[in-house]
Amino acid sequence: MKERTDAELVTRARSGHAESFGELVRRYQQPAFSIALSVIGRQQDAEDAVQESFMVALRRLEDCRNPDRFAGWFLTIVRNRSRNLIRRESLRRGDPIPASAANTGPSPEKAASLAELRESLQEALKKLSEVQREIVLLHDLEGWKHSEIAERLGMPSGTVRSHLHFARKALRVELSGWRDHVITS
Amino acid sequence: MEDEKRIRLLRVLDPAHDCPGYWERFRTEIMDRAAFELARRRDRARESVELVLSGWSRSLIPVALAAAVIAAIMVGSEAVRDSGPGTPLVLEDVLASDFSDEVLETAITGEAHSSSVAFMAFVEGNRP
Repeated sequence: MKERTDAELVTRARSGHAESFGELVRRYQQPAFSIALSVIGRQQDAEDAVQESFMVALRRLEDCRNPDRFAGWFLTIVRNRSRNLIRRESLRRGDPIPASAANTGPSPEKAASLAELRESLQEALKKLSEVQREIVLLHDLEGWKHSEIAERLGMPSGTVRSHLHFARKALRVELSGWRDHVITS
Repeated sequence: MEDEKRIRLLRVLDPAHDCPGYWERFRTEIMDRAAFELARRRDRARESVELVLSGWSRSLIPVALAAAVIAAIMVGSEAVRDSGPGTPLVLEDVLASDFSDEVLETAITGEAHSSSVAFMAFVEGNRP
């Protein structure tokens, strides 16, 4: 069956079609997480920002004047919500941990090791500019192509390549000491 | 550092890296939170359709009635027109027929000359 376009999904979601909105969530929850993580730098807050952003987007779907460009419109919401969340950092304290954050996988030892690695990665990413973090995560983590990033973030493809080049260069230095087996075991 | 290695390292930042099914659960949470707004939107969409339909019916019924009245009038006047002479008369036929001179003079110069309908009625009424 032919996959529906973003515009079709947005139109149907405006009428309350749950499956269409669910498909938009499936498509953009991970890119949104990458954006939020780029801005906030903490996984838990990034998740909150993504959830909030989807709620805001659903309430304001009529404001998305060009549904073909839903991705760019939505990721802007994610970026803005993430920045707001940083300003209201105190809200994070005392929030219950959502079920999605429940740790059902690795042993406590490996979890600790992964937590340490994550912290180090986030420290390394902090050395980059916000837009560099967004681009490197969308490219390396989500597998988006240069052209997709350019279209969805609303910037020239050459700029995306340039940001990616400098981000990789900086990360090469920051992550050079990390051993591969830490993450592959 | 190789690109592949960097990508593998960055993947650690994905919450699903050590938590299979994470994103599906995450999506379910969002959908749960979105249920109320989606239901509200469905209700609003249904109300909109009903409003449009009732709006149409309000404006369509008088228009349909007016159209029916106009159609009835037109059909009636057609019937009146069609009830005229079976054989159409042309002036040449009239001149070549056996009408008396008086009748012809009156037909051409008198009141019967005021309209084609009056003329034809007069001629028919005085046919020998």
